[in-house]
Amino acid sequence: MEAFRQEIIVGAVVVYMLFCIITGLWAMRRTHNPSDFFIAGRGLGPIVVALAMFSSTLSGFGFVGGPGLVYSIGVSSFWMVVISSTGYALGFFLVAKRIRMIAELYDCLSLPDVVAARYGSQTVRFLIAITIVLGVMGYLATQILAMAVVMQAILSGTEMFAEVGLVTCVVISSAVMIFYCVTGGIIASVYTDVVQGMIMIIAGTLILFTAMAVFDGGMQEATSIILADDSEAIMPWGAAGIMASLGWFFVFGLGLAGQPHIITKMMMNKNIRDNRTILPMSLFGYVMAALLWISIGIVMRAAVVDGVIDPLALPDDAASVFLSVFANPLLAGIVFAGLFAAIMSTSDAFLNIGTAAIIHDIPKAIRGHSVKNELFWARVVTILLAIVAASFALYSHFRDATLVAILGAFGWGTFAASIFPVVAVGLNWKGATVPGAVTAIVTALLINFITQLAGYTFPYAISGQLVAFASSMLLFIGVSLLTKKPQLDSDIERVMEI
Amino acid sequence: MRSGLIYVIFAIGVLMAAILLAIILAEPVINAGGAAHPDFPGMQIGGDGAARLQHIGVLGFAFQCLLLTQIVLLSMLGISERYRSLELNCYMGGCLGLMLLIAWGMFSNHLQYLDTGTTGYFMGFPTATAWQLYGTWLGAIPLVIIYSLGFGKFIYTAEDEEKYNELLAEKASQTVPSTSV
Repeated sequence: MEAFRQEIIVGAVVVYMLFCIITGLWAMRRTHNPSDFFIAGRGLGPIVVALAMFSSTLSGFGFVGGPGLVYSIGVSSFWMVVISSTGYALGFFLVAKRIRMIAELYDCLSLPDVVAARYGSQTVRFLIAITIVLGVMGYLATQILAMAVVMQAILSGTEMFAEVGLVTCVVISSAVMIFYCVTGGIIASVYTDVVQGMIMIIAGTLILFTAMAVFDGGMQEATSIILADDSEAIMPWGAAGIMASLGWFFVFGLGLAGQPHIITKMMMNKNIRDNRTILPMSLFGYVMAALLWISIGIVMRAAVVDGVIDPLALPDDAASVFLSVFANPLLAGIVFAGLFAAIMSTSDAFLNIGTAAIIHDIPKAIRGHSVKNELFWARVVTILLAIVAASFALYSHFRDATLVAILGAFGWGTFAASIFPVVAVGLNWKGATVPGAVTAIVTALLINFITQLAGYTFPYAISGQLVAFASSMLLFIGVSLLTKKPQLDSDIERVMEI
Repeated sequence: MRSGLIYVIFAIGVLMAAILLAIILAEPVINAGGAAHPDFPGMQIGGDGAARLQHIGVLGFAFQCLLLTQIVLLSMLGISERYRSLELNCYMGGCLGLMLLIAWGMFSNHLQYLDTGTTGYFMGFPTATAWQLYGTWLGAIPLVIIYSLGFGKFIYTAEDEEKYNELLAEKASQTVPSTSV
């Protein structure tokens, strides 16, 4: 089996991509209108929503960047994972019920639709839509680039495709994603997410057992090796220190309820009561898949420190080197398919919300109505958005390597700081006002952009994202308390009392 | 929703911002955010843990405690005011107590390690890290349980469902799309 390692891996990835294409064709027959395309007609069952939600959360960053971060900074990056229980719980307490109610009551197709209904303001709709487009561009470009780099690494190991270029890999991987997103919209997206989620759970579980077998003394031997080399790296704050860790706790824990690609899924379930089962199922899936993040990172750091393997050229090589050195070819095939699954499941969600912002929300905020024939334009803009993001990724890769990194890092923190106060708090507090919402969004965008572009870090590794989030929360509540209490739409008032 | 909960959330937020400011202004420590590993490129080390916590350790712990408190308060904000009963407050108080206990377990075990240089292990990780890894994750599980098992009692009761269905029916009977977004 070892002799056919590359062929098995390529085979697993090809099977996965064929599945995505078939799902796109199947979903196309169920997509008749914009509501089907953007929110699956609010007709999804709890298992589908749960798997789609967690698989959208854990992107390629989790499968590639996560182990790389543990390799690089040790336990500091665990904070992004261990807060998942807090983040999901908070998201459901604050958002799940009311977003679903408003979505049905006002026939909303997107998150900015919900925000416009809540605040009765096209300005807030416009700002949220612009935030989504900015964040989506960065995220999408990062994901497409990651997908192409992994594909090139896999194909270059075979004789037939050894010389394949990055541009070709971008074209192939983007084409598959565009195909199922354009044909089947969110229906294709969530049903591929279900399989993607299952692959990720299986991959995470199998990898944990493989990682524990690398050292005779299991995980304890690996952590002892790291402790002897640099104890702080394996202690709770890791190499990055207490404030970097707590910053991630804040931004990833609270911020999960501000991620548009995740909370939009809360608008799609058939029955509000399903939320009681969706929460534990999503959390279970996330934790199982995230086992890969922690176990590969720890074992690779220990293996390098102990001299079992050579130092990595880049921290992000941790997962691929682990798979080629320690995993059996079949498992490597499953995990590589899982990696594509993680990337695509997040990318398709971003394509969907980005398209909605461009053809539905921005025109509505400016002209008072969205474009005619939304379904047609949704498909056209999905293609264009993916092409622009792919071009952006390639430009960044060949001309200016910092561009995608800046916008990618900009994504989560900006969504958290801009959207959490306005949506998660605003849906539960009648006193939230339009000036409060506008101030919070503008502050979050400014602080995040300035600190990212200037590359500025505060003392003790306090991140700009933490400062932006804390500031936007305070300003949102503070400005709302200082400005005139809003006159809410009567239906919104009744929803907020339920 | 006329309770003062939002004021408490705001006050906690102000305290957290004040702590952040105090940390930013605290005496700096070299490599507080890590330094390059001397032998392995791409790897960072934390170095002297005690030195890194010398000026900001207590502030950092206070920030974490306030953050945990904020999480529980925000969860309560998501529950209609009429369901914020003594029973719910007790459950939420219990959640917060558990989370703070876990944070203290992690923090104190880390300090103990910095003092003595020795540590025990639990399920593959040094004790302090086990508190962080398993404890932090499990600490919020009671919130998940309250949401899932208490859904029909605190989140969306039969009465709520009835009210919501009435609202939907009224909306459907309206012919003028005045509230359309």
